[in-house]
Amino acid sequence: MRIIKLNNQIKKRFIFLLIIFACFSTSIFLISYSLKDQIAYFVEPTDLKSMDGIENKYLRVGGLVKTNSLKFLDGNWVFEVVDQNQNSVNVIFSKTLPNLVEENKGIIVEGKFIDNIFVAEIVLAKHDENYMPQSAIDKLKEEGKWRGN
Amino acid sequence: MFAITPNILSNFMNSLSRYVILLSLILICVSIFLIIFLENDYYQGISFKIMFIHVPTAWLSLAIFLIMGISSIVGLIFKSPTAFTVARSLSPIGLIMSIVVLVTGSIWGNLTWGAYWVWDARLTSMLILAFIYLGHILLLYSFEHFQKADFAASVLAIIGMVNLPIVKFSVDWWTTLHQESSVLRIGGPSMTNDYLITLLVSFFGIFMLTIFWFSNIFYIIVEKRKIERSKLLND
Repeated sequence: MRIIKLNNQIKKRFIFLLIIFACFSTSIFLISYSLKDQIAYFVEPTDLKSMDGIENKYLRVGGLVKTNSLKFLDGNWVFEVVDQNQNSVNVIFSKTLPNLVEENKGIIVEGKFIDNIFVAEIVLAKHDENYMPQSAIDKLKEEGKWRGN
Repeated sequence: MFAITPNILSNFMNSLSRYVILLSLILICVSIFLIIFLENDYYQGISFKIMFIHVPTAWLSLAIFLIMGISSIVGLIFKSPTAFTVARSLSPIGLIMSIVVLVTGSIWGNLTWGAYWVWDARLTSMLILAFIYLGHILLLYSFEHFQKADFAASVLAIIGMVNLPIVKFSVDWWTTLHQESSVLRIGGPSMTNDYLITLLVSFFGIFMLTIFWFSNIFYIIVEKRKIERSKLLND
């Protein structure tokens, strides 16, 4: 008799906790789903095409630095940010670049569009999740398996 | 399961703790040796080596919260004092782990990204995790009776478990400055084997240290309660 009573209590507590957890996780899901544009840290050049009123709006644009586009002209860094769909944005930046900004590597620029040129105020280098020593790359290059730059 | 009292668990862990700390010291020494002689990353140079502290502590801060949440559920459903004591002794370790993750991460971020801190999804959710740990500790010590404190803190730990998948998958669900997962991901690890072995050795070293630390905190809590109980009986 006592065991049955205990089981009922345990069941009640379990259902109570399950309801709390389900309510809370649903609310978090709904909040994060409705705010997903705000949570996203940057937009890609392709996304910019479908956005309106981007002129004079403070934005973050992310992608890769286009090959052969990084130049130092009249005290400003000039480069293009390109994504997988080959859409690109022309960027101008007047301060010092982070060490890891290289051509064909990830970058995030923060600033405004002025006359179709993105004037960046902050530039961040975005590295990917691949780590390997130079010797491993040389070995892959010898075998012809290296697909990077 | 109900037969495991806090006392039995404390004695069991104490009998093993000297081997655990020995193993931990050996593994940490080996990992330091490996980290020093490891070849630098082709792109990030030497700064990527902070990963061997950052990643194990990040895994542990998530794993500790998961264990804390599960033991809170067990404690609330079965009214088990052992489970509550496990949750109570884990939260300070988790707080320290998450602070280490945030500090090493911001050093790494300054060296590679060019910023100590940004408000992207991964960094923000990790900061929230640290604050939940802090809230758990504050709740534990803001009640006069430890049963009430355990109840309140367990509810926080169970609700806080919602944050765990957000921390883990934030880099996949939203665009972030933080890179994606390198080891626990679809398609296998994206690093060479020597890096992966070093990372695992360093992880197990810190993991054993965590177990040793946990058994000490658990022992202190159990002994404190014994003293309090004997005081009550003598009065």
